Amino acid sequence: MKLWLKRICSTSLAIFYALWFVPLAQAYSFDMIVPDVRQPASISGGSACPVRAHQLTAAGSIAVQWSTALNTNPVTILTQNQTASGRLTEVEQAIAQSMAVWSGVSGTTLLPATFTPLARTSTQAACGPDGINSICFDQADMAFTPGVLAFTRVITTDRLGVQVGSSAVSTQLGQILDADIYFNPSDSNTAYATPQALAANPKAYDLESLLTHELGHFLGFSHSAVWSAIMFPFAPAPGTFSGLRPTTQQADAPLGDDDRTGLRVLYPDPSDVVHQGVISGHVFPANPLALPASPPGVTGVFGAQVVAVDSATGAVAGASFGGWSCASPGPAQFDGGYEIDALAVGHSYTVYVEALNGVVDPSQISNAIDSLCRNVMTDPGWPPLQGCVVPAADISFTARTRPGP
Amino acid sequence: MSFVQRRRFLWILFLAGLALLAVVANATTLSRLRFEELVNQATAVARLRCIGVESRWQEGEIWTETRFETVEVNKGLLPGVVKVRMLGGIVGHLHSRVEGVPAFRPGEEAYVFLWQRDGEPIRVLGWSQGTFRISRDPKTGVERVTQDSAAAPIFDPQTRQFRHGGIRNLPVAIFQLKLRKALDDKSTLSNQD
Repeated sequence: MKLWLKRICSTSLAIFYALWFVPLAQAYSFDMIVPDVRQPASISGGSACPVRAHQLTAAGSIAVQWSTALNTNPVTILTQNQTASGRLTEVEQAIAQSMAVWSGVSGTTLLPATFTPLARTSTQAACGPDGINSICFDQADMAFTPGVLAFTRVITTDRLGVQVGSSAVSTQLGQILDADIYFNPSDSNTAYATPQALAANPKAYDLESLLTHELGHFLGFSHSAVWSAIMFPFAPAPGTFSGLRPTTQQADAPLGDDDRTGLRVLYPDPSDVVHQGVISGHVFPANPLALPASPPGVTGVFGAQVVAVDSATGAVAGASFGGWSCASPGPAQFDGGYEIDALAVGHSYTVYVEALNGVVDPSQISNAIDSLCRNVMTDPGWPPLQGCVVPAADISFTARTRPGP
Repeated sequence: MSFVQRRRFLWILFLAGLALLAVVANATTLSRLRFEELVNQATAVARLRCIGVESRWQEGEIWTETRFETVEVNKGLLPGVVKVRMLGGIVGHLHSRVEGVPAFRPGEEAYVFLWQRDGEPIRVLGWSQGTFRISRDPKTGVERVTQDSAAAPIFDPQTRQFRHGGIRNLPVAIFQLKLRKALDDKSTLSNQD
Protein backbone atom coordinates (compact mmCIF):
# COMPACT_ATOMS: atom_id res chain seq x y z
CA MET A 1 0.00 0.00 0.00
CA LYS A 2 2.96 2.26 0.66
CA LEU A 3 4.02 2.46 -2.99
CA TRP A 4 0.46 2.95 -4.05
CA LEU A 5 0.01 5.74 -1.55
CA LYS A 6 3.20 7.43 -2.64
CA ARG A 7 2.22 7.27 -6.28
CA ILE A 8 -1.12 8.78 -5.56
CA CYS A 9 0.18 11.33 -3.16
CA SER A 10 2.87 12.49 -5.56
CA THR A 11 0.04 13.96 -7.56
CA SER A 12 -1.22 15.91 -4.62
CA LEU A 13 0.87 18.90 -5.64
CA ALA A 14 -2.16 19.71 -7.66
CA ILE A 15 -4.09 20.13 -4.45
CA PHE A 16 -3.46 23.72 -3.60
CA TYR A 17 -6.23 24.76 -1.37
CA ALA A 18 -6.45 28.37 -0.40
CA LEU A 19 -5.81 29.16 3.22
CA TRP A 20 -9.40 29.15 4.34
CA PHE A 21 -8.54 26.51 6.88
CA VAL A 22 -6.27 28.40 9.23
CA PRO A 23 -4.32 26.83 10.74
CA LEU A 24 -4.14 23.38 9.18
CA ALA A 25 -2.04 20.64 10.64
CA GLN A 26 1.22 22.48 10.29
CA ALA A 27 4.33 20.96 8.92
CA TYR A 28 7.06 19.87 11.28
CA SER A 29 6.01 19.26 14.79
CA PHE A 30 5.59 22.09 17.19
CA ASP A 31 4.72 22.20 20.82
CA MET A 32 1.06 23.28 20.65
CA ILE A 33 -1.17 24.80 23.27
CA VAL A 34 -4.91 25.48 23.31
CA PRO A 35 -5.70 28.90 24.84
CA ASP A 36 -7.98 28.89 27.84
CA VAL A 37 -11.20 30.18 26.31
CA ARG A 38 -12.89 30.13 29.71
CA GLN A 39 -10.99 33.37 30.26
CA PRO A 40 -12.13 36.65 28.74
CA ALA A 41 -11.23 37.00 25.08
CA SER A 42 -8.95 39.91 25.94
CA ILE A 43 -6.52 37.51 27.61
CA SER A 44 -7.31 34.20 25.86
CA GLY A 45 -7.80 35.44 22.33
CA GLY A 46 -11.25 33.85 22.34
CA SER A 47 -10.26 31.00 20.04
CA ALA A 48 -9.74 27.35 20.98
CA CYS A 49 -7.52 26.80 17.94
CA PRO A 50 -4.13 25.45 19.02
CA VAL A 51 -1.27 27.94 18.95
CA ARG A 52 2.42 27.19 18.75
CA ALA A 53 4.70 27.54 21.72
CA HIS A 54 7.39 30.06 20.84
CA GLN A 55 9.95 32.49 22.14
CA LEU A 56 9.81 36.22 21.58
CA THR A 57 12.30 37.34 18.96
CA ALA A 58 12.86 41.05 19.53
CA ALA A 59 16.51 41.97 19.97
CA GLY A 60 17.79 40.74 23.31
CA SER A 61 14.58 38.96 24.21
CA ILE A 62 16.08 35.51 24.79
CA ALA A 63 18.51 35.25 27.67
CA VAL A 64 20.29 31.99 28.38
CA GLN A 65 22.65 31.12 31.19
CA TRP A 66 24.61 27.95 31.67
CA SER A 67 25.80 26.38 34.83
CA THR A 68 29.56 26.03 35.07
CA ALA A 69 29.07 23.26 37.62
CA LEU A 70 30.37 20.28 35.67
CA ASN A 71 30.30 16.76 36.92
CA THR A 72 33.64 15.51 38.24
CA ASN A 73 32.78 11.99 39.36
CA PRO A 74 32.30 10.71 36.78
CA VAL A 75 33.44 13.36 34.32
CA THR A 76 30.57 13.52 31.86
CA ILE A 77 31.63 16.54 29.78
CA LEU A 78 34.81 15.78 27.89
CA THR A 79 36.92 18.59 26.47
CA GLN A 80 40.18 18.78 24.60
CA ASN A 81 41.53 21.49 26.85
CA GLN A 82 41.89 20.06 30.33
CA THR A 83 42.53 23.29 32.23
CA ALA A 84 39.65 24.59 34.33
CA SER A 85 39.17 27.75 32.30
CA GLY A 86 39.87 25.96 29.03
CA ARG A 87 37.12 23.43 29.75
CA LEU A 88 34.61 26.16 30.41
CA THR A 89 35.58 28.05 27.28
CA GLU A 90 35.22 24.93 25.17
CA VAL A 91 31.80 24.06 26.59
CA GLU A 92 30.67 27.64 26.15
CA GLN A 93 31.82 27.57 22.53
CA ALA A 94 29.68 24.50 21.91
CA ILE A 95 26.63 26.20 23.43
CA ALA A 96 27.18 29.44 21.52
CA GLN A 97 27.75 27.52 18.29
CA SER A 98 24.51 25.58 18.78
CA MET A 99 22.57 28.78 19.32
CA ALA A 100 24.20 30.29 16.23
CA VAL A 101 23.03 27.28 14.22
CA TRP A 102 19.40 28.26 14.78
CA SER A 103 19.89 32.00 14.50
CA GLY A 104 21.81 31.43 11.27
CA VAL A 105 18.74 30.31 9.31
CA SER A 106 17.70 32.84 6.69
CA GLY A 107 14.13 34.08 6.40
CA THR A 108 13.28 34.13 10.09
CA THR A 109 13.05 36.75 12.80
CA LEU A 110 15.28 34.67 15.06
CA LEU A 111 18.53 36.55 14.65
CA PRO A 112 21.85 36.44 16.50
CA ALA A 113 20.76 39.67 18.18
CA THR A 114 17.66 37.93 19.54
CA PHE A 115 19.89 36.25 22.10
CA THR A 116 21.57 38.23 24.83
CA PRO A 117 25.21 37.28 25.38
CA LEU A 118 25.48 33.84 26.93
CA ALA A 119 25.84 34.13 30.69
CA ARG A 120 27.54 31.84 33.17
CA THR A 121 26.33 30.90 36.59
CA SER A 122 28.12 28.93 39.25
CA THR A 123 24.85 27.96 40.91
CA GLN A 124 24.71 24.21 41.41
CA ALA A 125 20.96 23.81 40.75
CA ALA A 126 20.49 26.56 38.20
CA CYS A 127 17.73 24.81 36.27
CA GLY A 128 14.18 25.24 37.50
CA PRO A 129 11.02 27.16 36.69
CA ASP A 130 12.42 30.51 37.76
CA GLY A 131 11.89 32.42 34.55
CA ILE A 132 15.57 32.14 33.65
CA ASN A 133 16.49 29.90 30.73
CA SER A 134 19.31 27.67 31.86
CA ILE A 135 21.47 24.82 30.65
CA CYS A 136 22.67 22.38 33.31
CA PHE A 137 25.18 19.59 33.07
CA ASP A 138 25.34 18.62 36.71
CA GLN A 139 21.78 18.65 37.97
CA ALA A 140 20.52 15.20 38.84
CA ASP A 141 16.84 15.71 38.13
CA MET A 142 14.53 12.99 39.35
CA ALA A 143 13.05 12.65 35.86
CA PHE A 144 16.17 10.89 34.59
CA THR A 145 16.26 7.15 34.16
CA PRO A 146 18.85 4.96 32.49
CA GLY A 147 18.77 5.71 28.79
CA VAL A 148 17.74 9.34 29.14
CA LEU A 149 20.60 11.53 27.96
CA ALA A 150 19.16 15.02 28.02
CA PHE A 151 15.86 16.81 27.92
CA THR A 152 14.36 20.27 27.67
CA ARG A 153 11.54 21.29 29.97
CA VAL A 154 9.48 24.09 28.45
CA ILE A 155 6.87 26.11 30.33
CA THR A 156 4.23 27.94 28.32
CA THR A 157 0.95 29.55 29.22
CA ASP A 158 -2.55 29.45 27.78
CA ARG A 159 -3.45 33.08 28.46
CA LEU A 160 -1.87 36.48 28.55
CA GLY A 161 -0.57 38.18 31.66
CA VAL A 162 1.15 35.16 33.24
CA GLN A 163 4.72 34.89 34.40
CA VAL A 164 6.95 32.28 35.98
CA GLY A 165 9.47 33.44 38.55
CA SER A 166 11.27 36.40 37.07
CA SER A 167 10.14 35.74 33.51
CA ALA A 168 8.55 38.42 31.38
CA VAL A 169 4.78 38.59 31.68
CA SER A 170 3.24 36.79 28.70
CA THR A 171 2.12 39.15 25.97
CA GLN A 172 1.51 36.46 23.34
CA LEU A 173 -0.43 33.21 23.51
CA GLY A 174 1.91 30.22 23.59
CA GLN A 175 4.82 32.37 24.72
CA ILE A 176 7.56 30.31 26.35
CA LEU A 177 8.17 31.61 29.85
CA ASP A 178 10.95 29.30 30.93
CA ALA A 179 12.96 26.63 29.14
CA ASP A 180 15.73 24.63 30.75
CA ILE A 181 18.01 22.04 29.24
CA TYR A 182 19.19 19.20 31.46
CA PHE A 183 21.98 16.76 30.68
CA ASN A 184 22.06 13.50 32.61
CA PRO A 185 25.00 13.70 35.02
CA SER A 186 24.36 10.48 36.89
CA ASP A 187 24.87 7.80 34.30
CA SER A 188 28.44 6.59 34.61
CA ASN A 189 28.24 4.98 31.17
CA THR A 190 27.39 8.20 29.37
CA ALA A 191 29.68 11.07 28.44
CA TYR A 192 29.39 14.06 26.12
CA ALA A 193 32.32 15.45 24.16
CA THR A 194 32.82 18.88 22.66
CA PRO A 195 33.55 18.90 18.92
CA GLN A 196 37.25 19.31 19.68
CA ALA A 197 37.25 16.25 21.93
CA LEU A 198 34.94 13.95 20.02
CA ALA A 199 37.51 12.25 17.83
CA ALA A 200 39.55 11.26 20.87
CA ASN A 201 36.44 10.01 22.68
CA PRO A 202 34.53 7.87 20.22
CA LYS A 203 32.26 6.47 22.92
CA ALA A 204 31.01 9.92 23.89
CA TYR A 205 27.99 11.69 22.47
CA ASP A 206 28.56 14.84 20.48
CA LEU A 207 27.67 17.65 22.85
CA GLU A 208 27.00 20.12 20.05
CA SER A 209 24.53 17.84 18.25
CA LEU A 210 22.59 17.21 21.45
CA LEU A 211 22.60 20.89 22.36
CA THR A 212 21.37 21.89 18.91
CA HIS A 213 18.53 19.37 19.16
CA GLU A 214 17.58 20.49 22.67
CA LEU A 215 17.69 24.13 21.60
CA GLY A 216 15.13 23.18 18.96
CA HIS A 217 12.79 22.16 21.81
CA PHE A 218 13.77 25.37 23.58
CA LEU A 219 12.51 27.29 20.55
CA GLY A 220 9.20 25.42 20.37
CA PHE A 221 9.90 22.40 18.20
CA SER A 222 8.58 18.96 18.92
CA HIS A 223 10.21 15.91 17.30
CA SER A 224 10.42 15.39 13.54
CA ALA A 225 9.97 12.01 11.87
CA VAL A 226 12.47 12.90 9.17
CA TRP A 227 15.71 11.00 9.43
CA SER A 228 17.94 13.89 8.37
CA ALA A 229 16.36 16.51 10.62
CA ILE A 230 18.17 17.69 13.74
CA MET A 231 14.78 17.37 15.46
CA PHE A 232 14.63 13.67 14.64
CA PRO A 233 14.48 12.11 18.10
CA PHE A 234 17.40 9.79 17.51
CA ALA A 235 20.81 11.39 17.56
CA PRO A 236 23.92 10.14 15.86
CA ALA A 237 25.73 7.25 17.46
CA PRO A 238 28.53 8.04 19.92
CA GLY A 239 31.60 9.45 18.22
CA THR A 240 29.60 10.94 15.36
CA PHE A 241 27.64 14.13 14.87
CA SER A 242 24.49 15.30 13.11
CA GLY A 243 24.74 16.66 9.58
CA LEU A 244 27.70 18.91 8.94
CA ARG A 245 29.62 21.09 11.37
CA PRO A 246 28.66 24.76 11.19
CA THR A 247 30.99 27.05 9.30
CA THR A 248 31.34 30.79 8.95
CA GLN A 249 29.76 30.51 5.51
CA GLN A 250 26.95 28.27 6.67
CA ALA A 251 26.17 28.65 10.34
CA ASP A 252 23.08 26.44 10.06
CA ALA A 253 24.88 23.53 8.39
CA PRO A 254 23.85 20.88 10.96
CA LEU A 255 20.17 21.48 10.25
CA GLY A 256 18.07 19.68 7.72
CA ASP A 257 15.83 21.59 5.35
CA ASP A 258 12.91 20.33 7.42
CA ASP A 259 14.34 22.12 10.47
CA ARG A 260 14.96 25.32 8.52
CA THR A 261 11.46 25.34 7.08
CA GLY A 262 10.04 24.67 10.53
CA LEU A 263 11.92 27.62 11.96
CA ARG A 264 10.61 29.85 9.17
CA VAL A 265 7.08 28.77 10.04
CA LEU A 266 7.66 29.34 13.73
CA TYR A 267 9.41 32.70 13.37
CA PRO A 268 8.40 34.02 9.93
CA ASP A 269 10.16 37.04 8.52
CA PRO A 270 7.54 39.17 6.75
CA SER A 271 10.18 40.50 4.39
CA ASP A 272 11.18 37.04 3.18
CA VAL A 273 9.84 36.69 -0.35
CA VAL A 274 11.54 33.38 -1.10
CA HIS A 275 9.84 31.04 1.35
CA GLN A 276 6.22 31.83 0.63
CA GLY A 277 5.19 28.50 -0.89
CA VAL A 278 2.41 26.42 0.66
CA ILE A 279 1.34 22.85 -0.02
CA SER A 280 -1.88 21.82 1.59
CA GLY A 281 -4.50 19.17 1.12
CA HIS A 282 -6.47 16.48 2.83
CA VAL A 283 -6.05 12.77 3.35
CA PHE A 284 -9.38 10.98 3.11
CA PRO A 285 -10.31 7.34 3.38
CA ALA A 286 -11.76 5.87 0.20
CA ASN A 287 -14.44 4.38 2.37
CA PRO A 288 -15.77 6.97 4.83
CA LEU A 289 -17.10 4.14 6.95
CA ALA A 290 -13.49 3.37 7.79
CA LEU A 291 -13.35 6.54 9.87
CA PRO A 292 -13.70 6.15 13.61
CA ALA A 293 -17.20 6.66 14.93
CA SER A 294 -15.83 8.05 18.14
CA PRO A 295 -15.16 10.86 18.77
CA PRO A 296 -17.83 12.20 16.41
CA GLY A 297 -17.01 14.57 13.58
CA VAL A 298 -13.88 12.89 12.24
CA THR A 299 -14.06 13.31 8.44
CA GLY A 300 -10.50 12.61 7.35
CA VAL A 301 -7.51 10.49 8.22
CA PHE A 302 -5.76 11.66 11.35
CA GLY A 303 -2.13 10.95 12.06
CA ALA A 304 -0.78 10.28 8.58
CA GLN A 305 2.80 11.36 8.10
CA VAL A 306 3.04 13.82 5.19
CA VAL A 307 6.45 14.66 3.74
CA ALA A 308 7.30 17.15 0.96
CA VAL A 309 10.52 16.41 -0.92
CA ASP A 310 12.18 18.97 -3.18
CA SER A 311 12.16 17.22 -6.54
CA ALA A 312 15.40 18.83 -7.67
CA THR A 313 17.57 18.40 -4.60
CA GLY A 314 15.91 15.40 -2.97
CA ALA A 315 15.95 17.24 0.34
CA VAL A 316 12.98 16.94 2.65
CA ALA A 317 11.45 20.39 2.68
CA GLY A 318 8.91 19.70 5.38
CA ALA A 319 7.03 16.97 7.16
CA SER A 320 3.88 16.87 9.20
CA PHE A 321 1.48 14.68 11.07
CA GLY A 322 -1.56 15.59 9.04
CA GLY A 323 -5.18 15.29 9.91
CA TRP A 324 -6.61 18.44 11.38
CA SER A 325 -7.46 22.05 10.74
CA CYS A 326 -8.85 24.85 12.80
CA ALA A 327 -10.75 28.03 12.07
CA SER A 328 -11.44 30.55 14.78
CA PRO A 329 -13.14 30.23 17.26
CA GLY A 330 -12.20 26.56 17.14
CA PRO A 331 -12.07 23.81 18.12
CA ALA A 332 -9.74 21.74 15.91
CA GLN A 333 -11.54 19.74 13.22
CA PHE A 334 -10.22 16.30 12.35
CA ASP A 335 -10.78 16.56 8.61
CA GLY A 336 -7.56 14.98 7.33
CA GLY A 337 -6.06 18.39 6.56
CA TYR A 338 -2.35 19.03 6.24
CA GLU A 339 -0.31 22.06 5.32
CA ILE A 340 3.38 22.54 4.68
CA ASP A 341 4.32 26.22 4.77
CA ALA A 342 7.36 28.39 4.15
CA LEU A 343 8.54 26.44 1.12
CA ALA A 344 10.81 28.06 -1.43
CA VAL A 345 8.73 29.25 -4.36
CA GLY A 346 9.61 28.16 -7.89
CA HIS A 347 10.52 24.63 -6.79
CA SER A 348 8.74 21.41 -7.55
CA TYR A 349 7.89 19.08 -4.69
CA THR A 350 6.77 15.50 -4.34
CA VAL A 351 4.53 14.63 -1.43
CA TYR A 352 4.80 11.29 0.34
CA VAL A 353 2.21 10.03 2.78
CA GLU A 354 2.43 7.18 5.24
CA ALA A 355 -0.25 6.25 7.68
CA LEU A 356 0.44 5.06 11.15
CA ASN A 357 0.33 1.32 11.38
CA GLY A 358 -2.50 0.28 13.63
CA VAL A 359 -4.44 2.11 16.26
CA VAL A 360 -2.15 4.64 17.88
CA ASP A 361 -3.02 6.87 20.77
CA PRO A 362 -2.11 10.52 20.06
CA SER A 363 0.06 10.66 23.14
CA GLN A 364 2.18 7.89 21.65
CA ILE A 365 3.27 10.07 18.79
CA SER A 366 4.01 13.45 20.17
CA ASN A 367 2.96 16.08 22.64
CA ALA A 368 2.31 18.17 19.55
CA ILE A 369 -0.78 16.28 18.48
CA ASP A 370 -1.89 15.13 21.88
CA SER A 371 -2.46 18.73 22.90
CA LEU A 372 -4.75 19.90 20.10
CA CYS A 373 -7.93 19.68 22.16
CA ARG A 374 -9.37 20.63 25.50
CA ASN A 375 -12.86 19.78 26.66
CA VAL A 376 -15.15 19.70 29.65
CA MET A 377 -13.60 16.44 30.82
CA THR A 378 -10.05 17.76 30.84
CA ASP A 379 -10.99 21.28 31.93
CA PRO A 380 -14.14 21.72 34.00
CA GLY A 381 -16.28 24.55 32.70
CA TRP A 382 -14.85 24.38 29.17
CA PRO A 383 -17.40 25.68 26.62
CA PRO A 384 -18.79 22.55 24.91
CA LEU A 385 -18.87 24.19 21.48
CA GLN A 386 -15.14 24.85 21.68
CA GLY A 387 -14.25 21.45 23.06
CA CYS A 388 -12.94 18.46 21.14
CA VAL A 389 -11.29 15.10 21.65
CA VAL A 390 -8.19 14.06 19.74
CA PRO A 391 -9.06 10.80 17.96
CA ALA A 392 -6.86 7.77 17.99
CA ALA A 393 -4.89 7.54 14.78
CA ASP A 394 -5.95 4.46 12.83
CA ILE A 395 -4.81 3.35 9.45
CA SER A 396 -7.46 0.81 8.66
CA PHE A 397 -8.27 2.71 5.51
CA THR A 398 -7.48 3.13 1.85
CA ALA A 399 -6.38 6.63 0.84
CA ARG A 400 -6.54 8.71 -2.31
CA THR A 401 -5.98 12.36 -3.10
CA ARG A 402 -8.53 14.44 -4.92
CA PRO A 403 -7.53 16.31 -8.07
CA GLY A 404 -6.94 19.99 -7.51
CA PRO A 405 -9.38 22.69 -8.50
CA MET B 1 22.38 -7.98 -14.17
CA SER B 2 24.74 -10.92 -13.70
CA PHE B 3 24.76 -13.12 -10.62
CA VAL B 4 27.94 -11.44 -9.36
CA GLN B 5 26.47 -8.00 -9.86
CA ARG B 6 23.28 -9.04 -8.10
CA ARG B 7 25.25 -10.44 -5.19
CA ARG B 8 27.33 -7.27 -4.96
CA PHE B 9 24.16 -5.20 -5.05
CA LEU B 10 22.63 -7.26 -2.24
CA TRP B 11 25.81 -6.89 -0.19
CA ILE B 12 25.70 -3.12 -0.68
CA LEU B 13 22.07 -3.09 0.39
CA PHE B 14 22.92 -5.18 3.45
CA LEU B 15 25.83 -2.92 4.44
CA ALA B 16 23.74 0.18 3.86
CA GLY B 17 21.12 -1.31 6.16
CA LEU B 18 23.75 -1.95 8.82
CA ALA B 19 25.01 1.63 8.49
CA LEU B 20 21.48 2.88 8.84
CA LEU B 21 21.01 0.85 12.02
CA ALA B 22 24.22 2.31 13.40
CA VAL B 23 22.95 5.80 12.76
CA VAL B 24 19.83 5.27 14.86
CA ALA B 25 21.65 3.59 17.66
CA ASN B 26 21.01 6.39 20.09
CA ALA B 27 18.60 9.18 20.80
CA THR B 28 19.15 12.81 21.61
CA THR B 29 16.95 12.77 24.63
CA LEU B 30 17.08 9.03 24.91
CA SER B 31 19.75 6.48 24.22
CA ARG B 32 18.31 3.46 22.49
CA LEU B 33 17.57 0.63 24.88
CA ARG B 34 17.11 -2.80 23.35
CA PHE B 35 14.17 -4.82 24.63
CA GLU B 36 16.53 -7.06 26.61
CA GLU B 37 18.18 -4.00 28.16
CA LEU B 38 14.79 -2.64 29.15
CA VAL B 39 13.98 -5.95 30.80
CA ASN B 40 17.35 -6.03 32.57
CA GLN B 41 17.31 -2.46 33.80
CA ALA B 42 13.67 -2.26 34.86
CA THR B 43 13.07 -2.66 38.57
CA ALA B 44 9.56 -3.85 37.69
CA VAL B 45 7.61 -4.77 34.58
CA ALA B 46 3.84 -4.94 34.69
CA ARG B 47 0.64 -4.63 32.79
CA LEU B 48 -1.04 -1.58 34.31
CA ARG B 49 -4.39 0.14 33.90
CA CYS B 50 -4.42 3.90 34.36
CA ILE B 51 -6.98 4.94 36.99
CA GLY B 52 -6.09 8.55 37.58
CA VAL B 53 -3.79 11.40 36.58
CA GLU B 54 -2.92 14.46 38.63
CA SER B 55 -0.43 17.25 38.03
CA ARG B 56 0.95 19.43 40.81
CA TRP B 57 3.89 21.54 41.90
CA GLN B 58 6.39 19.52 43.85
CA GLU B 59 10.02 20.25 44.64
CA GLY B 60 9.94 23.34 42.45
CA GLU B 61 8.63 21.67 39.27
CA ILE B 62 5.32 20.58 37.80
CA TRP B 63 5.09 16.80 38.02
CA THR B 64 2.35 14.46 36.88
CA GLU B 65 1.50 11.53 39.08
CA THR B 66 -0.31 8.72 37.32
CA ARG B 67 -2.06 6.09 39.40
CA PHE B 68 -2.25 2.62 37.91
CA GLU B 69 -4.10 -0.49 38.91
CA THR B 70 -1.78 -3.46 38.63
CA VAL B 71 -3.22 -6.03 36.24
CA GLU B 72 -0.29 -8.42 35.93
CA VAL B 73 3.24 -8.31 37.32
CA ASN B 74 5.96 -9.74 35.12
CA LYS B 75 9.00 -8.63 37.09
CA GLY B 76 9.58 -7.23 40.55
CA LEU B 77 7.11 -6.62 43.32
CA LEU B 78 4.33 -4.08 42.98
CA PRO B 79 1.35 -3.11 45.12
CA GLY B 80 -2.21 -3.22 43.79
CA VAL B 81 -2.04 0.47 42.99
CA VAL B 82 1.17 1.92 41.57
CA LYS B 83 1.99 5.63 41.51
CA VAL B 84 4.34 6.75 38.76
CA ARG B 85 5.75 10.28 38.71
CA MET B 86 6.90 11.95 35.51
CA LEU B 87 8.07 15.50 34.79
CA GLY B 88 5.63 17.96 33.19
CA GLY B 89 1.92 18.62 33.33
CA ILE B 90 -0.61 21.42 33.53
CA VAL B 91 -1.27 23.40 36.67
CA GLY B 92 -3.45 26.48 36.41
CA HIS B 93 -2.40 28.37 33.33
CA LEU B 94 1.09 26.91 33.17
CA HIS B 95 1.85 24.05 30.79
CA SER B 96 5.12 22.26 31.46
CA ARG B 97 6.19 19.97 28.61
CA VAL B 98 9.00 17.52 28.10
CA GLU B 99 9.05 15.77 24.75
CA GLY B 100 9.23 12.00 25.08
CA VAL B 101 7.64 11.74 28.51
CA PRO B 102 4.70 9.33 28.27
CA ALA B 103 1.24 10.58 29.23
CA PHE B 104 -1.61 8.26 30.15
CA ARG B 105 -5.36 8.58 30.27
CA PRO B 106 -7.70 6.86 32.71
CA GLY B 107 -8.81 3.50 31.36
CA GLU B 108 -5.73 3.07 29.20
CA GLU B 109 -3.71 -0.13 29.60
CA ALA B 110 -0.05 -0.67 28.92
CA TYR B 111 2.90 -2.84 29.72
CA VAL B 112 5.13 -0.42 31.58
CA PHE B 113 8.80 -0.89 32.40
CA LEU B 114 9.32 0.84 35.72
CA TRP B 115 12.48 2.12 37.35
CA GLN B 116 13.11 3.36 40.84
CA ARG B 117 16.00 4.38 43.04
CA ASP B 118 15.71 3.85 46.78
CA GLY B 119 13.63 6.58 48.34
CA GLU B 120 12.70 8.15 45.03
CA PRO B 121 9.42 8.05 43.11
CA ILE B 122 8.78 5.35 40.52
CA ARG B 123 9.24 6.50 36.91
CA VAL B 124 9.00 4.94 33.46
CA LEU B 125 12.32 3.52 32.31
CA GLY B 126 13.55 5.23 29.15
CA TRP B 127 10.28 7.18 28.97
CA SER B 128 8.64 6.43 25.59
CA GLN B 129 10.83 3.37 25.17
CA GLY B 130 9.55 1.73 28.33
CA THR B 131 5.88 2.28 27.46
CA PHE B 132 4.08 -0.43 25.48
CA ARG B 133 0.44 0.56 25.01
CA ILE B 134 -2.28 -1.99 24.49
CA SER B 135 -5.03 -1.47 21.94
CA ARG B 136 -7.98 -3.77 21.40
CA ASP B 137 -9.47 -4.41 17.98
CA PRO B 138 -13.19 -3.75 18.48
CA LYS B 139 -14.12 -6.28 15.81
CA THR B 140 -11.94 -9.22 16.76
CA GLY B 141 -11.16 -8.37 20.37
CA VAL B 142 -7.47 -9.09 19.71
CA GLU B 143 -5.15 -7.01 21.87
CA ARG B 144 -1.99 -5.60 20.38
CA VAL B 145 1.02 -3.89 21.86
CA THR B 146 2.88 -0.88 20.43
CA GLN B 147 5.92 0.77 21.97
CA ASP B 148 5.52 4.55 22.23
CA SER B 149 8.89 5.19 20.65
CA ALA B 150 7.96 3.00 17.68
CA ALA B 151 4.52 4.43 16.97
CA ALA B 152 5.42 6.88 14.22
CA PRO B 153 6.95 5.98 10.87
CA ILE B 154 10.32 7.47 10.03
CA PHE B 155 11.01 9.03 6.64
CA ASP B 156 14.39 8.25 5.12
CA PRO B 157 15.19 11.00 2.59
CA GLN B 158 17.82 8.88 0.84
CA THR B 159 15.56 6.01 -0.06
CA ARG B 160 12.42 8.17 0.13
CA GLN B 161 10.75 5.45 2.10
CA PHE B 162 9.08 5.27 5.45
CA ARG B 163 10.62 2.89 7.94
CA HIS B 164 9.40 1.35 11.13
CA GLY B 165 11.28 0.12 14.16
CA GLY B 166 10.70 -1.18 17.66
CA ILE B 167 7.67 -3.15 18.76
CA ARG B 168 4.54 -2.29 16.82
CA ASN B 169 1.17 -4.00 16.66
CA LEU B 170 2.42 -7.15 18.30
CA PRO B 171 -0.35 -9.42 19.61
CA VAL B 172 -0.29 -9.43 23.39
CA ALA B 173 0.27 -13.18 23.49
CA ILE B 174 3.43 -12.85 21.40
CA PHE B 175 4.60 -9.86 23.41
CA GLN B 176 4.21 -11.91 26.58
CA LEU B 177 6.26 -14.72 25.08
CA LYS B 178 8.97 -12.25 24.12
CA LEU B 179 8.92 -10.74 27.58
CA ARG B 180 9.04 -14.14 29.26
CA LYS B 181 11.96 -15.21 27.11
CA ALA B 182 13.89 -12.03 27.94
CA LEU B 183 13.17 -12.54 31.63
CA ASP B 184 14.27 -16.19 31.45
CA ASP B 185 17.45 -15.23 29.61
CA LYS B 186 18.12 -12.64 32.28
CA SER B 187 17.67 -15.09 35.13
CA THR B 188 19.91 -17.62 33.36
CA LEU B 189 22.60 -14.96 33.04
CA SER B 190 22.16 -14.01 36.69
CA ASN B 191 22.56 -17.64 37.74
CA GLN B 192 25.75 -17.88 35.73
CA ASP B 193 27.09 -14.80 37.53
